[in-house]
Amino acid sequence: MPLENLRGRVAFIFEEDDFDVDQIVGVKNIKIQDVEELAALAMRSYDPDFAKVVKPGDVIVGGHNFGYGHPHYPPMRALRHLGIAGVIAESFSPGYWRGEISMGFPQCSCPGIRALVSRWDEVEVDWDAGVVRNLTRGRELPFEPLAKADRLMLEAGGLVPYLKQYPAN
Amino acid sequence: MGYTITEKILARAAGLPSVRAGDEIMAKPDFVLAYDFPGYTDVYFRQMKEEFGIDKVAEPERYAIFIDHMVPAATPKEEELHIGTRKWCAENGVPLYERKGIGHQVAAEVGYATPGAFVVHFDGHISQLGTFGTLAIGMRRNVLEAFVREKVSIRVPQTVRVNLHGELQPGVMARDVFHHMVRVLGPASCRFQVLELGGPGIDTLTTEGIQSITCLAMFTGAITAIVNPDEKRLAYALPRARKQLDPVFSDADAEYAAVHDIDLSGLEPIVVIPPTPANTRNLSDYVGLEVQAGYLGSCASGRLEDIEIAARILAGRQVATGFMLHVIPTSQEIMAEAARRGYVSTIVEAGGFVSSPSCDYCFGRIATMTDNQRAVSTGTLNVKGRMGSPDSEIYLCNAAAVAASAIEGRIADPRKYL
Repeated sequence: MPLENLRGRVAFIFEEDDFDVDQIVGVKNIKIQDVEELAALAMRSYDPDFAKVVKPGDVIVGGHNFGYGHPHYPPMRALRHLGIAGVIAESFSPGYWRGEISMGFPQCSCPGIRALVSRWDEVEVDWDAGVVRNLTRGRELPFEPLAKADRLMLEAGGLVPYLKQYPAN
Repeated sequence: MGYTITEKILARAAGLPSVRAGDEIMAKPDFVLAYDFPGYTDVYFRQMKEEFGIDKVAEPERYAIFIDHMVPAATPKEEELHIGTRKWCAENGVPLYERKGIGHQVAAEVGYATPGAFVVHFDGHISQLGTFGTLAIGMRRNVLEAFVREKVSIRVPQTVRVNLHGELQPGVMARDVFHHMVRVLGPASCRFQVLELGGPGIDTLTTEGIQSITCLAMFTGAITAIVNPDEKRLAYALPRARKQLDPVFSDADAEYAAVHDIDLSGLEPIVVIPPTPANTRNLSDYVGLEVQAGYLGSCASGRLEDIEIAARILAGRQVATGFMLHVIPTSQEIMAEAARRGYVSTIVEAGGFVSSPSCDYCFGRIATMTDNQRAVSTGTLNVKGRMGSPDSEIYLCNAAAVAASAIEGRIADPRKYL
């Protein structure tokens, strides 16, 4: 299955570099398993209305080395539950990157993204053209190409379907 | 143009004459390691059977599992997880190391740090096997690939070379070297790359000290760290090695993404202030800050030289009233030797609490702090909530600084006790 372009609004911009994603739900909530409960807590300290204003297909934007530290999975589970379809950041921390790609959650490393977009701009990640477009302002930037295995994993919908689809080496 | 040690190891693991940074390859890990943890191993074991129809792993000697978290079990559920792990290992003929210590350290002790080998784990701190010229990468959930297939997909990483020069001053330890590297190079300086340590200064560090540095590599963004092994480290690793491989070394004209030089002789003890491992400061700027807890242990620092220096500082002194000092040797082998040398009795007589090897103090299962408390720690991380309440604070420092702070109940400079 071809990788579908991300197309949606920038629902939030994390300006901070080396952002620790655990902050999205708060460290004390990191062990919560219930996704409804997690989603209700997500982004509360950044924008209390986040859950109400976000729409399926929206993306979030991050700074350099997004996902630094010991990232856990619940924060992004919570954001996906709210409809967030992917993350575009200046660059990513490898542990976070691997973890989320294996969940089939699109990540796009695009140097300069914070200067390209403002909150609520409509953007498109065109995987084949290799660019992120700001549809609201009519500007675009190239992103760093995905490794082949990462792309196949996203196309398959995550690690388990990927391994099933390509059982041999 | 020559090759890095990383390129050489991956070329052999991929069965190719040579590979270059940037190549996308399939490589066969010599060893696949993991510790049991809810949501990881229990899920892999189930998925292997149910999703991939694998009843038994091929080549079980390539795999090893460690029980080092939740030791001892505090709830029936935790023990249930361990039972499942023991059962899977027995059924598959996979070696299981239980209660031997923190797996990343035990892995070196029992021969998985084979020089020249390619090793995968889900946990990134396995990078410390790089001390012995082993390429050990934490793949997070993707390590499932290594459980269900012979090979893993990997993009050959570029390497950042850091040359060390000079020698550390008393009271300054290998941990400080790593934290200093984060300070001067930056928390993203080696992103998706391998951190290769070298230079004349590396020979002045102990093998244990180098393990401290390679353990923490992920906080420079590196996917692992590696050192060209010298005679001393080969003498440790080769007799234990589980596989006959020729050690490999970077060529003198290997291509690096960047080369940095660091002078060890000018370093002071460092403190990493909350809430991220990127906040490096000189310890001297925080001397006098009240602290209630101290943790000496973890896969980064709980080895003999850490316990030895703490014992030296605590000998004939007492831990401050109300201060909780936890000293957790990294492995049973280390604990037994620390006991034989009298370090354990010295620390206990000073009022320290010494417990058997376990990851639990470091990852927060044994949560020791409540709101508004503050700790000095040799753990891996200082994020909020790592040692209990999210409203407590962790200051990372070397083992000597933990011991000195335990005496004063305040962050203290260890140099005055040495």
